[in-house]
Amino acid sequence: MPDQPQPQKKGFLQNVKEVLYGMGRHDMTRYAIRTRASMEHLFILITMGDLLGIPILPPYYSLRLLPYVVPQIATWKRRMLREKDVSDAMF
Amino acid sequence: MPNQLGSIVSKFPYIMFGGKGGLGKTTFSAATAYWLAEQGKKVLVFSVDPQASLSDIFQQDIFGKGPVKIKDNLFAQEIDADTHIKAYQGEIRRKILDMYGFDEVPDEIEQYIQAASAEPAMEESAIFDAVVDIVVAGSYDYYIYDLVPLGHALYYLSMAKVYDEWINRITKLREEMREYEEMVSRLRSEKTTEEDAILTELSYIKGRINQSSRILTDKEKTAFFFVVVPEEMIILDTQKAAKLFAAFDVPIAGYVVNRVVPRELLAQDIPAYLRNRIEMQDRYLAQIKSNLGAQVQAYVPELERDVTGLPMIEKLARIMYADGQ
Repeated sequence: MPDQPQPQKKGFLQNVKEVLYGMGRHDMTRYAIRTRASMEHLFILITMGDLLGIPILPPYYSLRLLPYVVPQIATWKRRMLREKDVSDAMF
Repeated sequence: MPNQLGSIVSKFPYIMFGGKGGLGKTTFSAATAYWLAEQGKKVLVFSVDPQASLSDIFQQDIFGKGPVKIKDNLFAQEIDADTHIKAYQGEIRRKILDMYGFDEVPDEIEQYIQAASAEPAMEESAIFDAVVDIVVAGSYDYYIYDLVPLGHALYYLSMAKVYDEWINRITKLREEMREYEEMVSRLRSEKTTEEDAILTELSYIKGRINQSSRILTDKEKTAFFFVVVPEEMIILDTQKAAKLFAAFDVPIAGYVVNRVVPRELLAQDIPAYLRNRIEMQDRYLAQIKSNLGAQVQAYVPELERDVTGLPMIEKLARIMYADGQ
């Protein structure tokens, strides 16, 4: 398992930091993570397109990338295959 | 002293004979390999064709057995794409199991592995990848590449060009993704994330594709010969193919004309059938001369029997490279 942050006593400064983070940066972080996730899906599409029947990379090489995207495949397929409506344009 | 063809051939470590099916690519590959081996050079003649015929010409089963020694300095290899692909699939599965601690590969992923391997492009890309391994290892002085028929080679060359571009873009996308990742880390005041394994893979793939297309297009090292016979359709098709190959920067070293019926026969009492064939060939030989002229590096006669087995290969090598021993 990747190293979990150990719970530790927080000092006053740490608390202030977190409040400020929540006020100012949380939204930006969320936005960045979201963009990152859409890009991830785009990435899988252009490398693993064969999964949806769109061959793109030479299959010999796309197999090399497969192990790295295994965890994302299920959500990616759901997203690619779901029906679209206007609200998609707004996320 | 080697003749014209011989002096060209000895300058290039990667030698290829291309052309329509059944014109004598394998035969010329074998004879050239034989000649170079006789000159004391270590030569590997290898085939990437799933219906390879090196086994037939050397009269020895070499399919999927790695480089097989035929005689001193001369080795032949037929790549078994199927086994290669199966082993590779196995590696991918093992990697997935190791990375995620699964007991078995998830259904969906397994289906993808199967489907990807069933695609026709799979075999080609696997073969070209195997070729990179063989050539990069550099254990031979000369590599003679018994090419698949023209269409496949062109297909691969065009793929290599597109893929290069494509992988550049994918890499760029991946790098942008990384920027977002770093931004998140910064916003959360975390330390930076670990290296992106996918980026590493992408640059590896790019390197491989570049290498395999470079083998086909390296002006310093590669000599590509077209095999033609004096027949109208073959001349026309070959000229078309030559244009396409040139467009993909394949260095064309010239043409070798095969199956020329010996003119000396005309002096003998021969049936009209043969006489007509010789006259027909004369017409097309004239056409070849006017169209290709100085690019024709050798004319090879039709022999009294098909070329299989070392003695016939030797005989052909002597004719092609006119050693006069």
